[in-house]
Amino acid sequence: MEAMTHGGTVAGDEDQVPSEYLTFTLGSEEYAIDILKVQEIRGYEQPTLIANAPRFIKGVINLRGIIVPIVDLRIKFNLGKVEYTPFTVVIILNVAGRVIGAVVDSVSDVFSLTRTQIRTAPDFSGSFDTKYILGLATIDTRMMIVTDIERLMTSADMELIDDASASN
Amino acid sequence: MAIDMSQFYQVFFEESAEHLAAMEGLLLDLDIENPDSEQLNAIFRAAHSIKGSAGTFGFTDLAETTHILENLLDRIRKQELGLRPDMVDAFLECGDLLRDMLEGHQGRGEVDQRAVEAICSRLRQLSSDPLQQTGSDSSPNLAATEAASPDAIGAMRVFDIQFVPTEISASGEGVANLLEELASLGQLTILSQPNAETGKVGYWQLRLATGLGQEAFADQIDFIAENGAWRIVEDKSASADGASAFGFFDDSPGVPDEDRGYGFFAPLEESAKKCEAEDKPSEDAYGFFESLPDAPGLKTSPADASEGDGYGFFEPLPDTSAAPVIEEGDGFGFFAPLPTPAAVQVVETPKAEVSASPVLSASTNVDHEAPSAHGSRAGRAAKAATPVANGDSSIRVSIEKVDQLINLVGELVITQAMLLQTATQMQEAVPERLANGLAQLERNTRDLQESVMSIRMMPISFVFSRFPRVVRDLSGKLGKQVELKTSGETTELDKGLIERIVDPLTHLIRNSLDHGIELPEKRVAAGKNPVGTITLKAYHQGGNIVIEVGDDGAGLPRNKILAKARERGLPVSDQMTDQEVFNLIFEAGFSTADQVTDVSGRGVGMDVVRRNIQSMGGRVEIESMLGVGTRMTVRLPLTLAILDGMSVAVGSQTYILPLSYVMESFQPQVGDMKTLSNQARVIQVRGEYLPVIVLHELFNLKPISSDFTQGIMVVVDADGVKAALFVDALVGQHQVVIKSLEANYRRVQGISGATIMGDGHVALILDVSAIAGMAKTTMQKAG
Repeated sequence: MEAMTHGGTVAGDEDQVPSEYLTFTLGSEEYAIDILKVQEIRGYEQPTLIANAPRFIKGVINLRGIIVPIVDLRIKFNLGKVEYTPFTVVIILNVAGRVIGAVVDSVSDVFSLTRTQIRTAPDFSGSFDTKYILGLATIDTRMMIVTDIERLMTSADMELIDDASASN
Repeated sequence: MAIDMSQFYQVFFEESAEHLAAMEGLLLDLDIENPDSEQLNAIFRAAHSIKGSAGTFGFTDLAETTHILENLLDRIRKQELGLRPDMVDAFLECGDLLRDMLEGHQGRGEVDQRAVEAICSRLRQLSSDPLQQTGSDSSPNLAATEAASPDAIGAMRVFDIQFVPTEISASGEGVANLLEELASLGQLTILSQPNAETGKVGYWQLRLATGLGQEAFADQIDFIAENGAWRIVEDKSASADGASAFGFFDDSPGVPDEDRGYGFFAPLEESAKKCEAEDKPSEDAYGFFESLPDAPGLKTSPADASEGDGYGFFEPLPDTSAAPVIEEGDGFGFFAPLPTPAAVQVVETPKAEVSASPVLSASTNVDHEAPSAHGSRAGRAAKAATPVANGDSSIRVSIEKVDQLINLVGELVITQAMLLQTATQMQEAVPERLANGLAQLERNTRDLQESVMSIRMMPISFVFSRFPRVVRDLSGKLGKQVELKTSGETTELDKGLIERIVDPLTHLIRNSLDHGIELPEKRVAAGKNPVGTITLKAYHQGGNIVIEVGDDGAGLPRNKILAKARERGLPVSDQMTDQEVFNLIFEAGFSTADQVTDVSGRGVGMDVVRRNIQSMGGRVEIESMLGVGTRMTVRLPLTLAILDGMSVAVGSQTYILPLSYVMESFQPQVGDMKTLSNQARVIQVRGEYLPVIVLHELFNLKPISSDFTQGIMVVVDADGVKAALFVDALVGQHQVVIKSLEANYRRVQGISGATIMGDGHVALILDVSAIAGMAKTTMQKAG
């Protein structure tokens, strides 16, 4: 993995410290998120609907006494096939002091990445705003989109959190 | 200091703040003409406790200021000085400054040093009259107590110190530092110490000859050793002053002139007599009080007794108003309703060993120095020795722990419901013993839940108690005469609500004072009593707690509000109801005050009040009559955690309707429904046309049947607004644990929270008033 470190920039010590990332797929794309933000992974269960919520917010579930909203990232980003099978996976995230469940196609791996392995993503336009992308990382031939999941989940786009503009 | 004191700071801050609050309450209660000595004592004790702990923790500014305060208080309670109104003012001001200092030490805000000096000199001036011994500052703490203390200072005293350090302090620097510190106080001899190889935890025996009292080092030892694992004995034989013979009271006639009863009151009759003879039993008597019901000194005010450093036995406190004080953790010791002789005897036996040597008596002159530390030590020691006699004591627990407990119990209730449901599905197949066990479990969990919930409940007197001061200060400032009447102080509500209701209520009261109550001349001219009245009332109503702030002032001027609203370009009309007009004052930036005072009138506030109260799930209403008065009614949910609900099915979903809103339910007949302008639907219920809210339409759900005659109409009354909710079916009635939807999600219109049903699924709780409001707007749109 050290071989992956690309030279050119002077890297500080901090940049060399590897962090672990969990990768998941949405359609054919692979995303990586900081594993420290992941509380657990569980199967999909039918949530309780929330009236008049956006389509990608599936509802809320009872996670051992905590009410946890479930977001289907596949619907949000128009990726993958939206179907719910016994194998549909929910990543329970712990971001910004909140617990949020995210439905993804599948969870694949856990990787160690140093900061230098993450390259800046080119600007592109898409449903997935680049401001939530920390960079791109390549392992073998796979490209992973390293995502700032906390920023994404707390953003106004996700409509998960009350903020000044969202409140009526 | 060897021990990290900072871990105790928080406790100190909390305790001191409570003492200050208690002191303030007592001061305001005080009848200046004829002060009750019990109250004076209680005030003194509060100041005293703050000083003691402030000194212990090294907050010298606090300790010094309190010391001056305490000196004056001491003279007043000893009736050397008469109480004057300006003294009370000075005390209150001093209390405020002390609070500022506390805040300052917690890193919030700055203390105005000039103000501190000013108040100190004012207090000194107040206490400087010919009777006063002068120069008490140079030898602080002792001036007041010397007279009472037979032990003259200055004499060399010899203490035998024995202790077994805790493992932590033994392995660390604790013991070494203690020895160093003791050596700095006087001549220290180590009589015996544990073998270094067997570990440092062991028995230490020291002898210290010093000019200081025990208080100078007792605390340090207390930190190093566990309660009860240390003792300090003053060796009187070695002491220069042998005159004070301590020990058993019945055979030491030299002692009774002490006004503090440490040690032992061996035969009960004797002790009872002694306590009475002492005439101030609750003052400093850390020993055992007679818990006879007719003990005059102890009977007066339960709050007093538990408020300061009254450690020892008190009579049972039946008054609920005392309960909060105990909860607060001040009252260490025993408030147990013990039959007297038994209690004393139980205590006696284990204590004998300690008291046989004149242990505690050596500390007689300690108490004015570090009373709370000392007192609690005495209390703890006694407690440790008498587990049998343990009664109602209190502990300080963090809210998080309590909340965790509540959550866990909530889980338990859900699990229990799940089990019960499973068993019910099995029907006949359930063994009888299992069914019985489940029924028992249900009762137990319900009981458990109730008692756990009650931990968080506190009487509203915690909030109300601060308002006499607000009213007093403000009415003085505004030149108004106002009397504050409170009722229903014992009404209990959730601690979370208590904390959050303070600001809105303060604002409402300030508002009443500033805008409501008129100046005395105006009141007389209007034929009213020159003294205005503000009433503060709390009571339960249904699932709500209602807090009313009423005044008999000028009332809200409807026309002025309307004019002001027009000025601000708000959409108003003369046809608006009073209620609607009055609600305008909740608009941001709205103020009818002719001039902005520093009390109110800037137009900020009422909107904040409303927002705060709404965020607690409450509502505020105004009733007012011009020239007669205004009444603001705040309605809050009793607790944020539990609710009686009716579960209703809408499509595939289950919703919870808070039972307190439900009036009735019925199955509509064909033709019951009428439409207004072909949009809004109404239904006639006993001659009244109610708007119909179709829940599946509101929530965009697929109904089981859209035929109204197949479903159920639930008539709800949301604070006077009635509506009929159309649901598919009624499912059942439950007590549900309210879970926040906002913790991990956000507010949803029409939903006030969520809960977990017996099958583990989440059900949303309907916010009936919001839904009724939605109906109203659709009606208006339609009409």
